[in-house]
Amino acid sequence: MPPNITTTLNTARARTYVFRLPLFTRVVIIAIVGFWIAGLQSVVDVREWGALIPDEMGITTLYRMNTFPFIHLNVLHAVMNIFALTPLMERFEGEYGTLNCLALFFGPLTTIPALLYVGVEKFVFGGNVAVMGASMWVFLLLAVEAIKTYKVNPRFVIGTYSIPTWTTPIGLLFAMAVLVPSSSFLGHAAGLVVGYGAGLGYVKFLAPPEKILRWIEGKLNLLGRLPHYVSIDQKTYGRFGVLPSANGASAASPGVSLGLVGSTQRLASALALRRDPRILKIPPYLSLLCILVGAVWLFLLPLNEYSRRTYISENALLPGQVHTYFGGSDQNVFRAYKKEVNELVGKGNVEINDKLESIVKALGLKTARQNFTYSAAGRTFAGENLYAILQAPRGDATEAIVLVAAWENVRHEVNRNGVPLVLTLARYFKRWSLWSKDIIILLSPDSIAGPQAWVDAYHDAHDSSKVASLPIKSGALQGAIAIDYVQEQRFKSVHIVYDGVNGQLPNLDLINSVVNIAGGQMGMGVALQEMWHHNDKYPDRLRTMLRGMLKQGLGLASGPHSSFIPYHVDAVTLQPFGEGWQDEMAMGRVVEGTFRSLNNLLEHLHQSFFFYLLMHRERFVSIGTYLPSAMLVAANFTIMAIFLWMKSGQPDAPAESTDKTPTPTVERDLFLPLAVVTLSGSLSAIPLYIFNHVPESALTPLFLLFLIINTLLPIAISLLSTHLFPSSPPTLQQYHLIKSFSLLLLGMFLSSLATLNFSLAMLIGMLSAPLSFVGPSSSLVSRIAGFALLNFTSPPAVLLASAAVWGLNVGDVLREAAVAWHVTGTYSAVVVWCVWWPAWLAGCVCVLGRTEDKGGKVKEA
Amino acid sequence: MRQLFCFVLLSWISFASLLPPAFAAAADYHEQLVLRPLPLSALLASFNFRSNTSLSEFEAHNFRFFPRSLGQILQHAGTQELHLRFSLGRWDSEAWGARPWGGAREGGTGVELWAWLQAATDEEADHKWLTLTNALSGLFCASLNFIDGTRTTRPVMSFQPEGDHLNTTAADTHLLYGVLPHEVVCTENLTPFLKLLPCKGKAGIATLLDGHKLFDASWQSMAIDVKPVCPVGGECVLQIELTIDMVLDIDRSKRPRDNPIPRPPPGHELPCNTSKPYHSHDTCFPTDHQANQDWTLSQIFGRTMKGTCPLTDPTVPPVCLQVPDSRSVYHSDGVLEKKNLDRVSRCFEIKPDVDFEIVLPAPEDESAILVKPETPLLYAERSFTGHGQERGGVQTILRNPSPDTEVEFIYMESLPWFMRIYLHTMSARIQGHTTKDKSLIKEVYYRPAVDRARGTQLEVRMRVPPASTVFLTYDFEKSILRYTEYPPDANRGFDVAAAVITILSPAAYNLRTTSLLCSLPTPDFSMPYNVIIFTSTAIALAFGGMFNILVRRFVAADEGPEVGLAVLKKRIKERVGVLVQKFKGKGQKAEDKMVEVGRMVENPGVGEQT
Repeated sequence: MPPNITTTLNTARARTYVFRLPLFTRVVIIAIVGFWIAGLQSVVDVREWGALIPDEMGITTLYRMNTFPFIHLNVLHAVMNIFALTPLMERFEGEYGTLNCLALFFGPLTTIPALLYVGVEKFVFGGNVAVMGASMWVFLLLAVEAIKTYKVNPRFVIGTYSIPTWTTPIGLLFAMAVLVPSSSFLGHAAGLVVGYGAGLGYVKFLAPPEKILRWIEGKLNLLGRLPHYVSIDQKTYGRFGVLPSANGASAASPGVSLGLVGSTQRLASALALRRDPRILKIPPYLSLLCILVGAVWLFLLPLNEYSRRTYISENALLPGQVHTYFGGSDQNVFRAYKKEVNELVGKGNVEINDKLESIVKALGLKTARQNFTYSAAGRTFAGENLYAILQAPRGDATEAIVLVAAWENVRHEVNRNGVPLVLTLARYFKRWSLWSKDIIILLSPDSIAGPQAWVDAYHDAHDSSKVASLPIKSGALQGAIAIDYVQEQRFKSVHIVYDGVNGQLPNLDLINSVVNIAGGQMGMGVALQEMWHHNDKYPDRLRTMLRGMLKQGLGLASGPHSSFIPYHVDAVTLQPFGEGWQDEMAMGRVVEGTFRSLNNLLEHLHQSFFFYLLMHRERFVSIGTYLPSAMLVAANFTIMAIFLWMKSGQPDAPAESTDKTPTPTVERDLFLPLAVVTLSGSLSAIPLYIFNHVPESALTPLFLLFLIINTLLPIAISLLSTHLFPSSPPTLQQYHLIKSFSLLLLGMFLSSLATLNFSLAMLIGMLSAPLSFVGPSSSLVSRIAGFALLNFTSPPAVLLASAAVWGLNVGDVLREAAVAWHVTGTYSAVVVWCVWWPAWLAGCVCVLGRTEDKGGKVKEA
Repeated sequence: MRQLFCFVLLSWISFASLLPPAFAAAADYHEQLVLRPLPLSALLASFNFRSNTSLSEFEAHNFRFFPRSLGQILQHAGTQELHLRFSLGRWDSEAWGARPWGGAREGGTGVELWAWLQAATDEEADHKWLTLTNALSGLFCASLNFIDGTRTTRPVMSFQPEGDHLNTTAADTHLLYGVLPHEVVCTENLTPFLKLLPCKGKAGIATLLDGHKLFDASWQSMAIDVKPVCPVGGECVLQIELTIDMVLDIDRSKRPRDNPIPRPPPGHELPCNTSKPYHSHDTCFPTDHQANQDWTLSQIFGRTMKGTCPLTDPTVPPVCLQVPDSRSVYHSDGVLEKKNLDRVSRCFEIKPDVDFEIVLPAPEDESAILVKPETPLLYAERSFTGHGQERGGVQTILRNPSPDTEVEFIYMESLPWFMRIYLHTMSARIQGHTTKDKSLIKEVYYRPAVDRARGTQLEVRMRVPPASTVFLTYDFEKSILRYTEYPPDANRGFDVAAAVITILSPAAYNLRTTSLLCSLPTPDFSMPYNVIIFTSTAIALAFGGMFNILVRRFVAADEGPEVGLAVLKKRIKERVGVLVQKFKGKGQKAEDKMVEVGRMVENPGVGEQT
């Protein structure tokens, strides 16, 4: 109880404090607010009209000397100043009286600092900086108070230094000047100077004679007429003459006792508000607002105001700072290697590796091979990785960078230029002695399984029944570059593929380095997310970002680099594209420059540059800016879950709302809701297992079967729950609880998923948004409509629709998902089947709930 | 003694035939350079400088060939035997075969130091060790002073004294071993090294030692070994042996120093495989990996050798070259070439003031370019397993290439304290078997780490059966460091020293694995710094000051209607009072206190009203 008492006292005190604010202070606050509101419109520029601008000063514009304190730059400025000014002004007014205040603040205490400021600004500095805002008053009053303090308590001691108390506002003045942007040091200083003068009594002569004020006050009976008027006489008692604390305390103590039984006191009214049926109307709108804001937020991101230019955070990288020498007769070598590679096209994996190994071995590199066998969707992905280690000539085998060339890229085209280029580069790198890290050349038979097997085995995280261990190893991997160079003719630009498995991304510094080297040093274009032409305008930025989000959300491996990223090895794939005049040697120089940059790294890339959305090669949004949108979407489910929980605790009949006594919470029947949610959750293991373990040929028929079952299942559960207990069919409360639990789980999973894979959380969140708003209904039409809506947004329906949109075969999509699950460990399937689908199922069961007899049920209860 | 014989007999045969017996003369000096071309266009250059001084002269501070600076340090620290190693790079035993000197003259990457100190107690030994490391640190411009308690171990099985210690007992001789894997060996370590030589770098083979070439080598090791040698029936001598071994890349070394960038050669200079069907002027399958066996001494070392050191023993040939006898080698005038009986080495006797140069032309006979490297007794490779910041594992792959001989050795690790190993997870298994084989590990000596005070010491006596590969693995947990314990500047992680493998049978042989890089969870130091410091400053300055002034109730002392003459009167009274009290003197203080108490009484009165 004690905490309650203190809060009551505090709220009561704050409230009385506001209500006791004297007249002039109120007027000033209202004026400030009024001017701020007036400044919102754009017809008349209030700020221009009222600000204190030195060059504008003339006889006709003297009004500015009095208006400028009321006018503020923006809301923040106004609010800050109100908060700072109110207590000071209140104190001053309490001491000197309203009339005195009026005279002083419309007279000397405003005009003198204003004149001072204008004089110094115009004639000493020769500037013309406009000032506005009540902060000048704040400093003036602070100075007055500081002088008062000084008289009582001349100095305070910090350590061994004793500092005069009157200097504190000066310290504050400097702090404000440093910390608050665009604050006027000179304006504040002018206020301060006058304040000190006032505090020391030098401006007393300017105050209106007390006799006259007294006479006015008496004649007009201001004390009687004006509320909150502070008489001049009060100043004889000081402001402590009218201390209301005794009043407040006596009012507060009954407040505690009354608060709990629901009186008109503040806390009690808040408690009463909680029970107010009107408050329960808010959450659905709130969660709708969350979804809308979340969606709109996403579309604001490509704007210049919300995205940032990329920059190199790790200065050790120094991208593009070295000369690259790859070229010349290396091209002759490249041509020879390419001839060798072309001869191998169409041959078996082992035969290819034999030939490539003989070439690599001849360069003096240590070579080794690794076998792997994955099986997924009834297929077997087997192969043999060939890799070679170029030991850094003077290195100590503690770190390594990887150069990957898969024999086939993700589209199963032979990497005709990539493989010979990597061989030529290996030969070229061998000549340098400056490497601080070993260079590992990885030649894998395919782009997904091979690199995955190799990286897993390198970190000893492999299943040794499927993937062989690596016979030779080097140090900790610091970075990897994969080359996917299929194109035969000369290229124009480089396409950077950076999506990792499960939406993990490489450090942005690596991408920036490549952009810097390829775009800046080599003068070739750089593209992202298959945006072959990018004009850096809003639509293109949005498209790039959404493509990136879609890829991130799917969480599939997009190239040989993808497998490296989960192990915290930053990696990208470089794909030359377009028709231009860049040749293989230029591509080699890009790799050389990037490797030289990675070679410079003193420490592993570690800046918080792993969470970003790229929308152009030089623009990105950081996690702090984009995360709220997914979090808001996830929060909408949580809000609805809490709302439904509260609603389920209320009696259904809101008839006797006139009664002020709080209604007791209804007992919640938890068995059926928990059973349904648990059942839907455990059922989710079935599709997850089936779609990941069925042979490829059976995938499409099974999917169609599942689509039908999926439609019938909610109906079956609904009927079952009704007919299993014919005596007590599920009540509205139970439907609310089912929905509440499933949405609670969904909100919880999605908000934690948003930090791991933002795009997936956002996609699932948007697709399952209808679940928040459809519920049991008494009308058959709305039930059918709701069920139909949910069926259109069900996981299998979305899968079918998206496959149709991209012109893919559903079977292929499912096969890719199964392969991703088995080979790269993509968890998107878990999220779809074990997070989204159970929530959808529970939502469908709710929608189908029949609630026409709820009135009768409640009466029985 | 026996061991010394062993060493001489078992080091590879060419050396055995070349080196005079170690106990030749009481006070002598000799130096020798052995050049051995290795596969893949590499060249091993072994510099060896050895000088003896009799113990009696040494104790009388009578230094002749023995460097005085080092001698004084050894005497001061009571060192009986000292071994210091500076190493860089990796020995590629797959290509280059067995290590020079049987691995006895090399260390792991960085700096390694072990010494036998004479001390009555462990504490005294530690103290002397501290003296020794600090003194050597100054002498060799290396961070040896960072070998503190956490980096020092006392091996029990791995190291045996090389010298003959007659007058000491085991009880008062302490072996201490320290290692700095992160130390980067560079030219500043070479200069003090050369200063220890009698001819400095001015004459003899030492003129070939150039920092640029030495530190561009693929592998290099500088060693200093000081040990007492007592020949049978002769006087005991203190022997200092300075060894520099380096493997130079012939291709890289032949580049001129003013143009070291490996630009692609012009197309017509590229050695091509002309038998390829597609060979043409712009397509070239390179064959240069086999080439580069033609070189001259001045190409490799950037200069010719300036005569011989006049102090050296004239019976020992200063330069030897190990190539098959069938290969022709040209040399400068005034040099006598002597082919050795083993048919794979030849030595050159040089007159004292002749510039020495040899030229190896490109060989005509492809088969007789090199002496075939000897297969080492054991291959060892160590790497980390696992990933993540919490725990990991170490896996050492030990391969015995011999078809019929079992290898028995001691495997020693000295790990930093922040790697907490789980000893129970240590296991050895033979490749191809999934279960661990308990017979492989014969003996384990383990001294656990103490946080921030002592590292882990692990010595394992184990065997590898013939023609098999053994995986030795153990897991460890990474500690979280205090944030002041991280290095102040950017760092790539923490280096873990090389494991030392001492082979006991079938022959004495040493090898070391590569060092490892252990990355500990590293906080982003700049981020909390920025956030905490900046927000605290903002709050302290702006909010604190403002809040203080706003919340505090200021009560003016002169509040109230005291205006006019009364005030003036009071002030005058006060002034007069002060003057009067100055005359009165000490009575003042008591009254001051009274005034203060009065104020304090007044204030609560005000407080009550609020």
